Amino acid sequence: MLDLDELVNNDGSEQSREIFWNQDLYQLEIERIFSRCWLFLTHESLIPKYGDFVSARMAEEEIIVCRQKDDTIRAFINSCTHRGNQVCHAESGNARAFICNYHGWAYGTDGALVDIPLEQRCNAQVNKEDCGLPQVRVESYRGFLYGCFDAEAPNLEEYLGEFGWLLDTWMIGAGNGVELLGPPSKSVLDCNWKVPAENFVGDAYHVGWTHAAALEVMGGELAGLAGNRADMPFDDMGKQFTTRHGHGFGVINNAATSIHIDRADYDTFMAEQLPKVAENLGEARADLFNGHWNCTLFPNNSFLYGTNTFKVWHPRGPHQIEVWSWTLVHKDMDRELRKKIQIGAAFTFGTAGTLEADDGENMMTCTHSNRGSVTRRGTLRSTMGLNHEGPHPDYPGIVGASFIGETSYRGFYRFYKEILKAQSWDAVRDNDDSWDSTFENRDFWKNRPTAS
Amino acid sequence: MPTDTKPKVATARRVTAELQHQIEQHYYTEARMLQDELFREWLEQLVAPDIHYWLPVYEQRFRRDKRPAPTPDDAAIYNDDYAMLKMRVERLYTGQVWMEDPPSRIRYSISNVEAYHTEIPGELQVYSNFTIQRHRRQTEHYTHTGGRQDLLRQDGTTFKLARRKIDLDARVVQDKNLYFFA
Ligand code: FES
Ligand SMILES: [Fe+2]
Repeated sequence: MLDLDELVNNDGSEQSREIFWNQDLYQLEIERIFSRCWLFLTHESLIPKYGDFVSARMAEEEIIVCRQKDDTIRAFINSCTHRGNQVCHAESGNARAFICNYHGWAYGTDGALVDIPLEQRCNAQVNKEDCGLPQVRVESYRGFLYGCFDAEAPNLEEYLGEFGWLLDTWMIGAGNGVELLGPPSKSVLDCNWKVPAENFVGDAYHVGWTHAAALEVMGGELAGLAGNRADMPFDDMGKQFTTRHGHGFGVINNAATSIHIDRADYDTFMAEQLPKVAENLGEARADLFNGHWNCTLFPNNSFLYGTNTFKVWHPRGPHQIEVWSWTLVHKDMDRELRKKIQIGAAFTFGTAGTLEADDGENMMTCTHSNRGSVTRRGTLRSTMGLNHEGPHPDYPGIVGASFIGETSYRGFYRFYKEILKAQSWDAVRDNDDSWDSTFENRDFWKNRPTAS
Repeated sequence: MPTDTKPKVATARRVTAELQHQIEQHYYTEARMLQDELFREWLEQLVAPDIHYWLPVYEQRFRRDKRPAPTPDDAAIYNDDYAMLKMRVERLYTGQVWMEDPPSRIRYSISNVEAYHTEIPGELQVYSNFTIQRHRRQTEHYTHTGGRQDLLRQDGTTFKLARRKIDLDARVVQDKNLYFFA
């Protein structure tokens, strides 16, 4: 039996190696995390017209997301209620109906069952009202569509909480915000879904070492990190954030565009946007706007703001994921700049990316080295910067002092344990006021006079 | 010249048997260079400075879907010019690509070579298929199949690659990355 208290310690700084391997735990994650949290589906701009749809996934569930006649968006399970066949095999398109390949049951763009072939003549004896494709809660945050299977879950805005305020830095930005360019590239990676999720939530530490080769060749501000050789004022170069529900990110100041190789126009664009961001959102977020962010929106939606890659890690059992990657662009960017950004993002973090290629093997062996039951008795640690973090005067959540540290790892695993243990969302709500008490150094920022 | 032009097979002029032979030998040499990690030599000797090296992302769509096939303005896995290819190559010589140390193995089989003259003298439109086998570490093995549409320029007795469009057959890439030159 699984003892959840043995899996992750209270402050999220130690985890049992079981978390990357155990099949029972995976099943529990599916039930308590993926069946209860908001999961990324697609962006509104990718289904602009009535009948436009995409095939999405929520963990192992196949989902259709479709724009309705009244411009609202619905999501429903992509599996026929007759004998279970998958109803739609196209990844995107425009439909007036979804017709099952097996016996021809027809569903409307809203997922309702509208036609059963030979219904009268052959005594189908089916109440059509009860046999629509099961609906999934779908809500938008600034155009980003997320789905949730749990009726008791908080709405999306509450689920994001203060993380939404932080995301608004660029999801609102100078006013028009951002959108995604598709179609997503897709690939399979033999790793547990949490390895890339934790990497994106808070691992600037690996950048200088794992990605040394790419940084050295590509240059830019981050090249100084290559090989961990530089003596840098890490505490003044960025921060880490963790907020309610395990979301988090690390930011490297003034480095938003740094991983792009063709960046002059992007730099100009950012410089033009910045004063408007400050006017809209204030200086605290204007500072973040110019930074490079590595983020995970709990549980499995990760993105790099600045480098413009936006990903979902779909779990396929405990030891495999499917990676879906879109390109994140500002709506104010013109056609030429969008194209440059899309090419640049693929060059670094696409399926053949100069940086992405460095990560895959680490993620795979961090998972598969745990197949040995003796190895698996061991513990993994994410203690870097422990207590060098706390509530901040200008920002919500818990803020860590250096962009190289594991504050947001701890926030991720603290919530991971909380939601796995919780019987219901009400049990999670009970902790809303005290969730951050495991970050004990409450006066860290007060006692740090040079802090900004 | 866009690399996704379908040949007008009835009218296009096929190359002679001798030229066909030269092109095939050229592809075998190219494959051997890539197998032997002669990436700089490959780039300097076989690739034209105005290269467009392209591997688009293909979505699976219904046949009735009238949206056009991807162009270089759309999502891609490779959409590289010479400078980008050079960076990809140089990265492999930094001594810091940990996942290639110990080195992995890659093997190319090139087939179905079909070559035509274009309107421009010395320029050839060439189609080919590939099977690429990658072996890594102890037991990792990946197979990639696909087709290539090349624009080759005759350069004395050899050829320079000016356009390459790679059509990968797998929609969901069954490998941890596609960091190799097809
Ligand atoms: S399974 Fe879909 S119509 Fe029978
Ligand atoms: Fe990485």
